[in-house]
Amino acid sequence: MLEISDLRASYDGVPALRSIDFQVGAGERVAILGPNGAGKTTLLKTISGTVEVDAGTIRFEGRDLHSQPPHKRVEAGIVHVPQGRMIFASMTVTDNLRLGSHRGGAQHRHGERLDLVLEIFPALADMLNRDGGALSGGQQQMLAVARGVMACPRLLMLDEPSMGLAPRAADSVFEGIARLLESETTATIVVEQRAHEALEICERAYVLESGEVVLEASNRALLTDERLAAAYLGSET
Amino acid sequence: MVEFLQFLVPGILIGGVYALLASGLGLIFGVMRVVNFAQADFMMLAMYLSWALFAGGVGLDPFLAVPAVFFVFLLLGMAVHWLFIRFVIGRRENHDAQVILTIGLGLIFQNLILIRYSSEPRVVAPSYANAGDFIGDIFISRVRLYAFLLSVLVAALVFLFLNRSATGRAIRAASENWEAATYMGVDIDRTNRIAFGVGVALTAVGGSALVTFQSITPFVGLRFVVVMFAAVVLGGLGSVRGAFVGGVLIGVIQSVSQVWTSAAVKNVWVFALFLLILYVRPNGLFGKAQRAI
Ligand SMILES: Nc1ncnc2c1ncn2[C@@H]1O[C@H](COP(=O)(O)OP(=O)(O)O)[C@@H](O)[C@H]1O
Ligand SMILES: [Mg+2]
Repeated sequence: MLEISDLRASYDGVPALRSIDFQVGAGERVAILGPNGAGKTTLLKTISGTVEVDAGTIRFEGRDLHSQPPHKRVEAGIVHVPQGRMIFASMTVTDNLRLGSHRGGAQHRHGERLDLVLEIFPALADMLNRDGGALSGGQQQMLAVARGVMACPRLLMLDEPSMGLAPRAADSVFEGIARLLESETTATIVVEQRAHEALEICERAYVLESGEVVLEASNRALLTDERLAAAYLGSET
Repeated sequence: MVEFLQFLVPGILIGGVYALLASGLGLIFGVMRVVNFAQADFMMLAMYLSWALFAGGVGLDPFLAVPAVFFVFLLLGMAVHWLFIRFVIGRRENHDAQVILTIGLGLIFQNLILIRYSSEPRVVAPSYANAGDFIGDIFISRVRLYAFLLSVLVAALVFLFLNRSATGRAIRAASENWEAATYMGVDIDRTNRIAFGVGVALTAVGGSALVTFQSITPFVGLRFVVVMFAAVVLGGLGSVRGAFVGGVLIGVIQSVSQVWTSAAVKNVWVFALFLLILYVRPNGLFGKAQRAI
């Protein structure tokens, strides 16, 4: 459903992505791993359209996204939950979730999606009238994911959902994401530093380094091959 | 006490109009971080439109002309955003270009009007221009009361639009974090265009509320630009609610200060309060570290 070939992007002439080939099939869950500065966030931004590409193509469900502005890509079902959460701190949780349903295809399903989101993240149910800024880091991350789910994504992209969270909070965010992926068949890209958690919910992974794909493998291969694990998953476990 | 009230009431009335003038400026700054130096000249254009509709054959009452003024300036503001502003904000943000662009627009507006209508002051004097009522010992001018009520009504409608409608919610979201709003599928160019149009229209309506007691020249904007900017900063940069409260406060100070000192120095009091408030609350009355309109 998503096919990227020979994608290049740069910031002020400094390359951030050098010839990326990348695919996600319908309903597939794909992890993107790799160290800080590898280009993971940049890759997601080229898909959602907030970073311009220098060369290469991005096709979504057969259509070239090149001339599509970001809001048209959301309209097509590409939903990006950005790194650093970016919730609307001065607005209530309810308003944040309403903004999640902003896209055309999601407005009339607001009620149904709200039920789903509160089932996945029950902690949000008591917070609906609070300002986003008054939530804890973990709750804000849940809200950020929930807001993305409200949009009825066809492709959901989660950028480091555990970043900056205490281990317990990160665990409950991941539990919610796992519940989501069980009940939905949405194609999903998960960018993570916590590689093992990401691999538990994904079928396949790409490892990025310095703007290049250095490895593409199934999660089985990555988790069972000790050399691969040692080389690419760090010494976390 | 009566003397105090005699100054307080007109202060509140004119303050309501200042509030509307300032909330247009505040909305534009809050949503797209553009300091629109042409804002007071949009007000001036709106005053000429009201004058033309009143004096130019149609004989339209300036208060009844307000819906027309609102829509004309909504469209004009959206056009100015589409033609110019969108190229100097967001991903292409350029503060120098914004300053030069908006000051230049203001100068162009002033000179076009100067060429067309000369610098001769114009007045709009409907039959009730000097009417008024005494409530107890306090005289309330009819046109100033109407101007106040109109300003509060229009501001209330715009607050409702921002807080209750889907487009208003998208505008608030984009003003807080345009990148996040983009990921929600908000068309930032569109929300900016609407916010710029509404911001210009608010100030324009404030201008047409003034015409029954403020004579009109191509440079009338200069008389209000200080008040508008002071109100916006006083209330907290980027907060529309703050700009509104700031406007009322400035009207009251200007007026009440005349109990003790001459009208000639009324703006000295405004700046004294201005400095005091910024000393105590550097982000203004309603300003937060976070952005919110
Ligand atoms: N807005 C930006 N301006 C300039 N350089 C950037 C910007 N964002 C990222 N970069 C650079 O691009 C490279 C890739 O960054 P990023 O995509 O954020 O990596 P990752 O998400 O894998 O940590 C890094 O070298 C980073 O410094
Ligand atoms: Mg990143």
